[in-house]
Amino acid sequence: MSTPADPQALLRSQKIYERLLAAYPKSHRAEYGPAMAQLFRDQSRDAWREAQGWGITKLWLRVLPDLIKTSIVERLSTFNQRKTMIDKIAALFRPYQLPRHTFRAVFIGVFVLVFGASIATSFLMPEVYASTARLKVEPGEDSLFPDHSSASPAVTYDPYFIQTTFEIIEDQVVLGKAIETLNLNVEWGKKYNGGKTLKTSETMEWLKRRMNLKPVRNTQLIEITVYSEDKHEAARLANAIAQSYRNYRLNQLKQLSLNGIKILEDRWQQEETQIPKLQLEVGSLRQQCKIRFDASGPQSPEEQPYWDKKRALDNRLEFHKLLAGKIEAEKLDLMIPKTFPAEIIGRAEPGNQPARPNKPLNITLGAIAGILLASIAGALAAFIVFQLGKRMRKSPAPSAA
Amino acid sequence: MNATMVDPEKLLPLTPAVFHVLLALAGGERHGYAIMQDVAESTEGRIKMGPGTLYGTIKRLLEARLIEESNERPDPKLDDERRRYYRLTGVGEQVVKAEARRYAGIVEMARGKRLLGRPAKIAFTGI
Repeated sequence: MSTPADPQALLRSQKIYERLLAAYPKSHRAEYGPAMAQLFRDQSRDAWREAQGWGITKLWLRVLPDLIKTSIVERLSTFNQRKTMIDKIAALFRPYQLPRHTFRAVFIGVFVLVFGASIATSFLMPEVYASTARLKVEPGEDSLFPDHSSASPAVTYDPYFIQTTFEIIEDQVVLGKAIETLNLNVEWGKKYNGGKTLKTSETMEWLKRRMNLKPVRNTQLIEITVYSEDKHEAARLANAIAQSYRNYRLNQLKQLSLNGIKILEDRWQQEETQIPKLQLEVGSLRQQCKIRFDASGPQSPEEQPYWDKKRALDNRLEFHKLLAGKIEAEKLDLMIPKTFPAEIIGRAEPGNQPARPNKPLNITLGAIAGILLASIAGALAAFIVFQLGKRMRKSPAPSAA
Repeated sequence: MNATMVDPEKLLPLTPAVFHVLLALAGGERHGYAIMQDVAESTEGRIKMGPGTLYGTIKRLLEARLIEESNERPDPKLDDERRRYYRLTGVGEQVVKAEARRYAGIVEMARGKRLLGRPAKIAFTGI
């Protein structure tokens, strides 16, 4: 018995089952129909308590084949109960009219079952919402210090870049952080694991199953779509994953710059210790060769070692100055990056319409599949009946005894 | 079929659905939903009968007079009085016992061929 507390999906499901009982012979329906409907109602309530819409879907997946099989068995059984073989033949083989009738009966039966199943599935499946965040991703630089003055691009084309990006997004470094930010191990543990906190690896598996990554053709954009029964949760998850990937790329770039600055500073320090030694050597050579401060070039071959050394010193001083400038520029870049390796172009918003099930599509496909299968089954049944009828007309009529 | 004249052995082997329904009713009279639950519990959820299979089986068992409809009702306050209760007939009881013996024989045979282990012995500590 349905109570007012029963949800609409449950009541609809029960009504559909009651209608489908028409597949059984009248006598069987009259005797056991109400009891079967009652049993289905009891099973539906159990299934709903267990897993709501999914529970009802699973019940239908079990009950529908049972209904088809047992209704055929009962119909055959009723047919076999007819008094004599003549009765049976008379019931089955009415020349010329029979194949058409058989086709019609089988067609209607199969069509109602297939179409009914598609409608039931469409209405009983839980509604799932999708939310999409859009990210613009830039390939990483192939050297620590790209030559910006050069005409050739420092960034080379990587055909595997998008695939690599998808793998990174699905990895612990990105998904793990998103899970941590949203406290999903605890939240989903409460929701799906009887209150027991999930392991990050388990939550990641669940999240991957609800997530879809797609590149936008001929652009550097990728779409992160997340599906959930809760539209707000879907949007929250998509944004958290996009944000987590952006942070990952920024941290990676920051780390790369820090490593570069460290190398530059080490080199600058080396120069800082070498230059005074070189200055001493140049001073000493100048005194040995008695060269004036304002001299502009070698006056004699004896002065040549001094001028060579002095040129080396000038080059080192120039290089030292360049290093200091480069370090400052890199530090400035670290604080104010010129480009972002990943930018969130569009934040995910809660959807208004469920993405799944696509009811109009499912029902249309159900109708098309129903017509096709019903036509095949009807034609097959009509052919068999026609062949049997032909054989019966050729062979002598069996005696009633 | 006249059940009183039937040798239970001749009805064997029973189909799994028939055997499970008879086994469920061996525990006392039950309505359809209780039979289904009993079968699901005793098979640890491996067999979940649909309404079509259950009532088809009940119909055949009624026709064979292995079960009968019970007119006694539990306290209507405790249960829906529109439910139909079924119980084993004498022949039904004999048939389910014969089938159980047949299964026991098969199990023994399997043990003889070392396909199955011996059941664990229960230690009685005494009172």
